Formats: sequence, structure tokens, C-alpha cells
Amino acid sequence: MPGRPLTRRTTVGAALVSPLVVTACDIDPPSRDSGAAAPTAPPPEDSELVAGVVAALVRARAVVEAATLSQPDLTALLTPVATAHAAHLEVLSGAVADADVPAPAPPTIAAGPARALGAVRRSEQRLLREVRRGCLDAASGDLARVLASMAASTAQHGAALADLPAGGEPS
Amino acid sequence: MSVLDALQATLADEHAALYTYGVLGARTSQATSPALFETLTAGYRRHRARRDQLRLMVRDVGGDPVAAEAAYDLDGTLLRPPQLERAAADLEAASVEVLLALVARSSGSVREWALTEATWSAVWQLQLGGGAATWPGAPELDLP
Repeated sequence: MPGRPLTRRTTVGAALVSPLVVTACDIDPPSRDSGAAAPTAPPPEDSELVAGVVAALVRARAVVEAATLSQPDLTALLTPVATAHAAHLEVLSGAVADADVPAPAPPTIAAGPARALGAVRRSEQRLLREVRRGCLDAASGDLARVLASMAASTAQHGAALADLPAGGEPS
Repeated sequence: MSVLDALQATLADEHAALYTYGVLGARTSQATSPALFETLTAGYRRHRARRDQLRLMVRDVGGDPVAAEAAYDLDGTLLRPPQLERAAADLEAASVEVLLALVARSSGSVREWALTEATWSAVWQLQLGGGAATWPGAPELDLP
């Protein structure tokens, strides 16, 4: 039973920008206490929630970029992670004002591929926690679904990196 | 669609998943493909626990849990280990999609459970030879 088809650029924007549309949407979640009730209007805090996830994504992207610059041999390994970050940011950042998108200072990555990979792994775990929290707190069901897919993707990439030996070379 | 409808649809999908895992396991030799047998057994157990939990959740919201069909159609020829592994990976990918629909229609503990199970199925695809995706369970977001 697939969810209702969503378009890449309109999903989150519609959920955040047009609350009346979402209120009438038949897939919006019920209220939190009952677990099964009538649809509710999305409160404005979803905007703040999306801004938080975008900030976490920007931080994670900076760590991947720093690791790749520090250890070019990791480029092939980390490109899929960077591609996922870019796609996730593309969907979410349209719903956040430019002023809300942070520009973090470049993180410092310790020398050596194992340490660089370790930094990316920890960063992805942190990102997963942030995206999970956003999914659970989202008032909009559409937004929760998008964030759940992001969490699943982040967990997949994290598991793929975790399966590698310490040196970062695929076994 | 209500949260009860979404729970029932997820439960119906789990009945089919358990049937499929049973067939895949029965066609896998524990002697010649021990790793695959172990992976399929672990998947079967996870989905069995998921089905049991869904039955409880359906009752919690006042529903009567949907029953399993007598049998389900399986696509294609499933005889060789790579085919069996691929079928299980496809099953997990489909499970992520169904569970994400439940995430959208629920809240609180039901949403948290659906998110945890969707994440597990997504990661389990890697055990079955799959790769990490950008939008697991939401393929329409991959479109340009």
C-alpha cells in the first residue's frame, strides 16, 4: 500500500505554507494523545522543526566535505552519502527562509582515513537522531513520511559505512 | 484513510511478507547457503513479531485484525540463492513503503513503532545484497 504520491518540490512546502490545504488533507495524522482521531491543523512549529533538520543536514554535509578534502581516497565511498544529503536538502530547504539555513564553520577532521571515516559515522548517527526526532514531532503526516524516508536512508548509509573495516576500504 | 485502515493495510502486508519469507526459507538450503538461511530466518522472525504487534495495535484502536489469505502469488522463478535473496530484498523495500504510509497516518507511539520498523527493513536490505538509497519507501521523491 504505497503512500499518496508526492512531488519532490511541493510536498514539504505545501505542508508548511498552506495549512488550510493540509488541514483538509485526508492523510494528515490524528492528534497525538489518542493515536486515532480526526485530522488536526498543522501547528506553525513544523517550520522550526524543518529548520532544525536542515541545520543538521548542513552540519552533516560539512563533515562529509571536510572528510573528503582531508582524505581524497574516501571520495568514492562518501559520494553516495553526499548525494543523499544534497537530495534531502533540496526537498527541505525550499521550506526554510535562507536566513534560517546555517553556514557552519568547516569541521576539523583528524588525520588518517580511519579517523575521518569515524567522524563521518558519528556525524551520520547524530543526523539520524535529529531526523528521527523531527519525524516523530511533525504535525504534518506528509512531512513525517518525508522525514521517515530520510531517516531510513541515513540509517542505510550509516550501516554501509559501519560494515567497512577501520581503514575504510571495502572488504 | 484512518489510522485503523493504515494499520490493517500494514497487517495485511505483513501476512503476505510472512508467507513469502516462509517460501523463501523453505527453498534455501541450510547446509549449502547457511548465511542466506540465517538472514531469511532472522527476517521471518522480525516480520512475525511485527505481525503480532500489529494485531495488538489494531485491537487497541477498536478494530478486528484482518486475517491472512490462504496463499499469495509470488513473482518469478525463485529457486537459486541470488533470486531468493533478491526477492527478500524486494519484500523489505515494499515493507518500507507500507510502513511509511503508516507513519504519515499515525502519531505518537504508533508512528514511532512504524518509523523503527521502516528503518529496520531499510537497513536489512543491505544484509540481502541491496544498496543504500536516497529515498527508501518514497520512490516518487527520486523523480526529477
